[in-house]
Amino acid sequence: MLWLSKEQARNRFQSELEFIQCLANPNYLNFLAQRGFLRERSFINYLKYLLYWKEPEYAKFLKYPHCLHMLELLQYEHFRKELVNAQCTKFIDEQQLLHWQHYSRKRTRLQQALAEQQPPQQQQAPPHANAAAK
Amino acid sequence: MATVLEKSTKERLLSVVDDLEVLSRELIEMLALSRSQKLPQPGEDTQVPRCAVILELLVQRDREFLQLMEVAQQQGKVHQEMQLLEKEVEKRDSDIQQLQKQLKEAEHILATAVYQAKEKLKSIDKARKGSISSEEIIKYAHRISASNAVCAPLNWVPGDPRRPYPTDLEMRSGMLGHMANLPTNGVNGHLPGDALAAGRLPDVLTPHYPWQSSDVSVGMLPPHHGNDFGLEPPGHNKENEDDVEAMSTDSSSSSSDSD
Repeated sequence: MLWLSKEQARNRFQSELEFIQCLANPNYLNFLAQRGFLRERSFINYLKYLLYWKEPEYAKFLKYPHCLHMLELLQYEHFRKELVNAQCTKFIDEQQLLHWQHYSRKRTRLQQALAEQQPPQQQQAPPHANAAAK
Repeated sequence: MATVLEKSTKERLLSVVDDLEVLSRELIEMLALSRSQKLPQPGEDTQVPRCAVILELLVQRDREFLQLMEVAQQQGKVHQEMQLLEKEVEKRDSDIQQLQKQLKEAEHILATAVYQAKEKLKSIDKARKGSISSEEIIKYAHRISASNAVCAPLNWVPGDPRRPYPTDLEMRSGMLGHMANLPTNGVNGHLPGDALAAGRLPDVLTPHYPWQSSDVSVGMLPPHHGNDFGLEPPGHNKENEDDVEAMSTDSSSSSSDSD
């Protein structure tokens, strides 16, 4: 069954765009795994088909680029099997968040370092996000 | 160039010398004999012509000898020239060999240079193919950073609902989420996703979040691919709606129980 109208194609584009970005959510991945979707042949083929989002002409529409990495990992059966495990997805979630915060924390550290170097009159209170740094 | 049948000059000279020797010996013998005899003999008449013959032969041989000596001299000169020329030839030969070596070296160097140039051209082509305007890259970088999709906001604390991925709420309010909200029996017992695939559903989209789509993507189409991966399209979206509340993105909670 081929797409016949531009409208249909556009809808399909949008739905695939949304779906692929949902894959960036480890909890959603766990959800899919626990319902056995990741074992279905057709779903696996669909995941392979979605790899076209890696091309620059398509990738530029992705707002959450983490999804591409998840998609690549999802091509491997071992990964798909592991996703059933809730602890696994929790770990992925934590690591993802830490990675997400990495750059901000680096920046805060730099700012702190700068603040310490400055003369006493111009001392500023360390940024609030410092409390989040672990 | 001399054929094997011709005698060499040396041999001829030697044979002439031999002849001369023989003739002169005979002559001297005859003269000695005639001297010692002193008496005219009846055979004497024959001796004079014999002497004359020998003399003639002697003279002839002498002439031959002189000629051969000249020939030998000329041959000597020619031989010398030949030697000179041979030396020249050797010199030229070594020159040619030297040039050959240099040519080979040059060829080798050029071949390497050409090869490297070709490699460079290949990589230039490759780079050109993958080139993206810096403006686009900057735009995209801005897009994903400004929304905190790849970098946490500076004031993020645990408890902040923002995440590097679309949250429950965002997923539910997207096109897929809305599709799941439609009547689940769908048309002819097919799932809503199938109906969408068949193009019988209206367009219900009003994206609330920029991650779902944008006006920019209006011209964009997915790669042409039939629904032949044995796929039941967003059938899972149906469950998405039911259990999406159970899915929690709060990092402090444990994993979701479904069912």
